[in-house]
Amino acid sequence: MRGCADGGEPAPLPGWRLPRRHTGRALVGMLLLLALVLLAAGPLLLNAYWIRIAANILMYAALAQGINLMAGYTGYPAFGNVVFFGLGGYVTAVLMSKLQLPFAVAIIAAPVLCVLLVLLIGPPLLRLKGHYFAIATLGLNEAVKEVISNTTRLTGGGMGISLPLPPGGPAASALTFYYLFFGTALFATWVTWEFSRRRLGIACQAIRDNEVKAEACGLHTTRYKTTVWMISAAITGVVGSINAYWMTYIDPPAVFDMAIAVKAFVIFLLGGAGTVLGPLFGAVFVELLATFTWSKLLNWHLGAMGLIIMLAIALFPNGLREAIQRIPSLQSLLARLRACGRNDSIEPQPVEGRNSARPSLR
Amino acid sequence: MLTLQIVLSGILLGGLYACMAVGFSIIWGVTNLINLAHGSMAIMGAYLAWLLWSHTGLDPFLSVPFAAAALFAFGYALQWAVLNRIARTSLFMTLIFTFGLDMVLVNVMFALFSADVRGIPVSYSSAGLVLGEIRLPYTRIAVFVLALLLTLALHLFMDHTRSGQAVRATAQNPRAAAMLGIDSNHINALAFGIGAALAGAAGTLIAVVYSFSPITGSPLTMKAFVIVALGGLGSMRGVIFAGIALGVAENIVSGLLVPGYRDAVSFVLLVLILIFRPRGLFGDRYLFDARMR
Repeated sequence: MRGCADGGEPAPLPGWRLPRRHTGRALVGMLLLLALVLLAAGPLLLNAYWIRIAANILMYAALAQGINLMAGYTGYPAFGNVVFFGLGGYVTAVLMSKLQLPFAVAIIAAPVLCVLLVLLIGPPLLRLKGHYFAIATLGLNEAVKEVISNTTRLTGGGMGISLPLPPGGPAASALTFYYLFFGTALFATWVTWEFSRRRLGIACQAIRDNEVKAEACGLHTTRYKTTVWMISAAITGVVGSINAYWMTYIDPPAVFDMAIAVKAFVIFLLGGAGTVLGPLFGAVFVELLATFTWSKLLNWHLGAMGLIIMLAIALFPNGLREAIQRIPSLQSLLARLRACGRNDSIEPQPVEGRNSARPSLR
Repeated sequence: MLTLQIVLSGILLGGLYACMAVGFSIIWGVTNLINLAHGSMAIMGAYLAWLLWSHTGLDPFLSVPFAAAALFAFGYALQWAVLNRIARTSLFMTLIFTFGLDMVLVNVMFALFSADVRGIPVSYSSAGLVLGEIRLPYTRIAVFVLALLLTLALHLFMDHTRSGQAVRATAQNPRAAAMLGIDSNHINALAFGIGAALAGAAGTLIAVVYSFSPITGSPLTMKAFVIVALGGLGSMRGVIFAGIALGVAENIVSGLLVPGYRDAVSFVLLVLILIFRPRGLFGDRYLFDARMR
């Protein structure tokens, strides 16, 4: 990271970024570096339970970054993006258990297939917008899930499919998966940052803000939209691939689960839509919240997650960042107090002046 | 003969789909919400009918008004208290919110009724109309007729009452309607309540002819969306036509071509419509343009 991720990012929407302070950039850079070191060295200090949770947080951070590219920067609610998560998982599972290929091949093949699917389905689906696009991607997820469930000879169908166990004991593999997800989340964030300041990202933001105008300016909108969806799909596919190897057993309802996509969406929305670092903060917040409620509620975890989602949306409809910004800082409170004091002393004057002017008119 | 039987039962199924999709359409058209909990609301109606039947022995056809009333109250309260506030923010938020609601509803149904697949065995379910080799159970015919009657009742309400006209005015132009003194919060809540009531009524009818469990709802939501997209937003006859078309298409695909791909039919149909006629067969051009923006 070049010092500070906040620096080169063009403002996506007015009001999305924190006000720039002079000391801010250096401070943010230092904090980011510190966070990176902590994330890299952290698992050596944590126990197995927390490594697992941290790996989960990083997984969702990467998924949310994929959604961020599509929904946050380009304005296309790719609601069913989880289809690439499932597809990546199944590519990995089939390659590793049926063809005995190493994981290194599978993790490359997974995003390639996801990109091919986008090439096939992207141009027609990307003609849609808003609700229509959201539900069409949801339908895509259902359709792919149904195909996988019915091709039993290749994928095991509804019975699911097992993957070879990762080498090393449980402790070693937990660390391996932590670092795999860490690398993916870092890579996804770097991609988002590069994307946001390059031609592609700026074009996508123009499409989000006004697609007709963007097209009139000569942007080949379908090409840009398909490209960004391919990037998003590739990231999601890699995450799905790692997840399948981590789980060692997958079946269609588990990996084509809309709840995964929705959680990633909530993370991206709460963290801050169309910002580079937002999804990371959102992932930490939502995953920790979910973990704490989850471990206590066994029969109600689905409902608890739903309730968290509903409450989060009802309480912070503009994201956590805006909610935090709205909490007045001590400085601004003091400034407001001072301003009030000044107004109190100024306001009576004209009244007095008017009052004193009246008698002279008589 | 088999083909004819499959097509006819597809038509009967389609009437049920249409009744549910009309509710989805009115919610979408008026409040601009995609109600991802719509299928679960229908299944709530089914469980209500099942509860009434198992405790008091009430015939499921007679529990339609109860289910509709209960879901109307639920929908009205939800839109009035919560959704009206969220709807002002963004499309993502409402989508995610209704998905969260869906998760809660499914979980509540799991907790109350377990994951068992249930049905309501009525004494007259085996009786049917026999035309040569074709057999159509009376229950399915009754369900079809009742579903269409409900849809027709909604049509009459929308066209011939003051409230219905206010709902239509809000759907066409919320700002102008508000300026003319229409209370948009109340109208949105009314529309959501009516949509939920139709879902509940359709769910009760589902309980008469099909078995159901808490997870039956989510594919129904997808189907409702496809039907509205195919028929066109804001068009009642479009929804009826599209519901029947989807019912027939599903039956033909799963009965004659490739069994197991029943739910993929809706997606393929959706992609085809959206490529060739994005505003649907009978869609309102104005409404469609407003929603695509």
